[in-house]
Amino acid sequence: MKGVLNLAKQSNATMSRALQRRENISGYLFMLPSLIFFAGFVIIPMVICILTSLTDANMRDTSMLGNFIGLSNFAKLFQDKDFKQALWNTIVIVVVSVPTVCAFSLWVASAIYKLKGPVLSAFRCIFYLPVVTGSVAVVVVWKWMYNNYYGIFNYVLKGVGIIDKNINWLGDPKFALWCIILILFTTSVGQPIVLYVSALGNVDQTLVEAAQVDGATNFQVFWRVKWAQMMPTTLYILVITTINSFQCFALIQLLTSGGSNTNTVMYHIYFTAFKLTEQAGHFGYANAMGVVLALFIGALSAVQFKLAKEK
Amino acid sequence: MKKLLALLLAMSMLMALAACGQKDPDPAPSKDPAPAETQDPAPAGDGQSDPAPAPTEGATEITAWIYPVGGWSTEANVKPLIDAFTAETGIKVNLEWLAYADGDDKVNTAITAKSAPDLIMEGPERLVANWGASGYMVDLSDMIDDTDKAEINPAALAACTSPDGKIYQYPMFITAHCMGINLDAFKAAGADQYLDLENHTWTTENFIKAVDALYAEYGSTVGAVYCKGQGGDQGTRALINNMYGGTFANAEHTAYTWDDPKNVQALEQLKGMDGIAFDASLEGGDEIALFYQGILKMAFCWNIAQQLDPNTAGTGAGKTMNGEEIVCMNFPSEDGSAKLQGGIWGLGIFDNGDQARIDAAKQFVKYFCDSEHAAEAAKISNFFSARSAAEGTDLSTIFDDNPIMMDYNKVILPNLGDYYQVTTGWAQARTSWWNTLQKIGNGEDVAASLAAGTAEANGAA
Repeated sequence: MKGVLNLAKQSNATMSRALQRRENISGYLFMLPSLIFFAGFVIIPMVICILTSLTDANMRDTSMLGNFIGLSNFAKLFQDKDFKQALWNTIVIVVVSVPTVCAFSLWVASAIYKLKGPVLSAFRCIFYLPVVTGSVAVVVVWKWMYNNYYGIFNYVLKGVGIIDKNINWLGDPKFALWCIILILFTTSVGQPIVLYVSALGNVDQTLVEAAQVDGATNFQVFWRVKWAQMMPTTLYILVITTINSFQCFALIQLLTSGGSNTNTVMYHIYFTAFKLTEQAGHFGYANAMGVVLALFIGALSAVQFKLAKEK
Repeated sequence: MKKLLALLLAMSMLMALAACGQKDPDPAPSKDPAPAETQDPAPAGDGQSDPAPAPTEGATEITAWIYPVGGWSTEANVKPLIDAFTAETGIKVNLEWLAYADGDDKVNTAITAKSAPDLIMEGPERLVANWGASGYMVDLSDMIDDTDKAEINPAALAACTSPDGKIYQYPMFITAHCMGINLDAFKAAGADQYLDLENHTWTTENFIKAVDALYAEYGSTVGAVYCKGQGGDQGTRALINNMYGGTFANAEHTAYTWDDPKNVQALEQLKGMDGIAFDASLEGGDEIALFYQGILKMAFCWNIAQQLDPNTAGTGAGKTMNGEEIVCMNFPSEDGSAKLQGGIWGLGIFDNGDQARIDAAKQFVKYFCDSEHAAEAAKISNFFSARSAAEGTDLSTIFDDNPIMMDYNKVILPNLGDYYQVTTGWAQARTSWWNTLQKIGNGEDVAASLAAGTAEANGAA
């Protein structure tokens, strides 16, 4: 009898291992197409980027890999006034854009999340529209509004007597970067608003009611109960907005070509890699910028995760 | 399980093939491919005209990328010519039009990916000084014999020739970039008295007086030193160089010279004029649009193609949107004699390592640059042919039925100046130029900004 039981146990274990292996293989096979694309378009380019940042790779080099030059590109970066200016502009965009986008979207979401179905949907559509509209179309409209000669901003401001002479919004370094940040803001708030509306709707009402019964003020309810429960959403929004702000490119390319003190690291990478093709080692140098940008984004995201975890 | 693994492996191989596959560098040759030598035109130096293009025995399909050069930017103009070429030679041509905004990016990316087109139409600054100097182009010297040399504009041929004597561009058509003025606005402001309308010239002194008169009349910017980017920068360079006789590069095309005190003088003069704005929100195309709309009263980015079809709007030659008369002018100079920036366009062949495709591309070049078809190729461009005749066809009279072209040929084209765009480091120089203009526009010291910009450009030269 005992022998029969042992045999049954062994048989079960063997079957279970076989089943487990089969399930594992099936799982990996399902993942395979995505893994191939992820490796081909993310992992491998990332590795190539890091490797070529240590070389003098350029377009004229037939192998495209260049010669190993150690950390020279990185040393050169921090003596390059154009890169430093681009980095500074990028930091300004991130520092201004991320908190304002989060605060504004939280404020709007708080105001609209209790509205009834169609009205709430209408608000969601209005704020989400710039996100789904193509960036070129958005830029064309803003470019027209900012136009130095016939733009609506100058027309209105002159009409109400605030300015005497037209302001060259996109041609004057005093204004250009702020104009870009404003457009970035309008195209960035849509998704956070939708996410916050959803997060606010999912806040546990029993906790809210319990806090209110205990005499908590509205601010205390928000700060101690709702905000704490929305922290994962906030973290996601912070990380996504930070990455988007660091990678601000299309607006710069379409509106100012990096001029009027609006150059950003992303645009500078593109310009160095594909416009300054006569410059020695331009691919390697542009990749070094890309690595530095990735380090900045990674560091800031890590800080955000850490702070959110502590909270 | 085995079947599944086999299927998986097959899929991986297919995907790898699809992802990594590229054009066959050596497509299956025909049964008896003719040696390259026999397909080439007669060798240079024999003084004989080249043979007419013969149907190819090699590649039957090539790719041509075309920058928007005059009328060659319009498919309706180009397609009938290409169809005729295909019918005559059996070579199918896949055409793709590039934009100046990102055309260089596409070409550079294609070169990097080893998928450059067979043919490309643009000017010597790209074909000769950039891609040619980098070794990506085919030397076309064997297509140009003594007869061709006698027929082709010497300045154009010189610009298409590298310092080591290789010809990377077969010149097709040329023009001289000029400026346009709104004559009706000038008359309204009483500024037409400063123009020599017979010779289409004016002195720097009269230019300053005219701008002042226009500003007094309209009270706003009448001309823009646009500097958002490199688009149309030939206009700002020509304006500043001509005003007091400054230069952009030395005669040997080995160094940039824009820190010339005469350029400093011109920029300080322009900076102090109420009617002129240094505008970092405009490029050449934006300036043309504002001029066409009647907002600006003069355009520094102008040429014969614009004169024939202002702003490419199809609203009539030599007229603004409001029907005001546009007149082409030479850039102002101290004595009224301008040196204009040239535009030289033509065809180059990328060396993709496939002799059959190179030979087919050469047939294309021969057909459109050196045969009776060169007349039509030049005519649709709205520019002047780079040669006086081709295989017995007179190309100097193709625009005799067009008074605007005739006038341009008489008063603007003869003032074509040095084609310095082939100076090494041209891409960096153009970037440094508009950045320098922006700095000057923002109030930085003119001489210091020019010196810094020139040093930056020379660093790449």
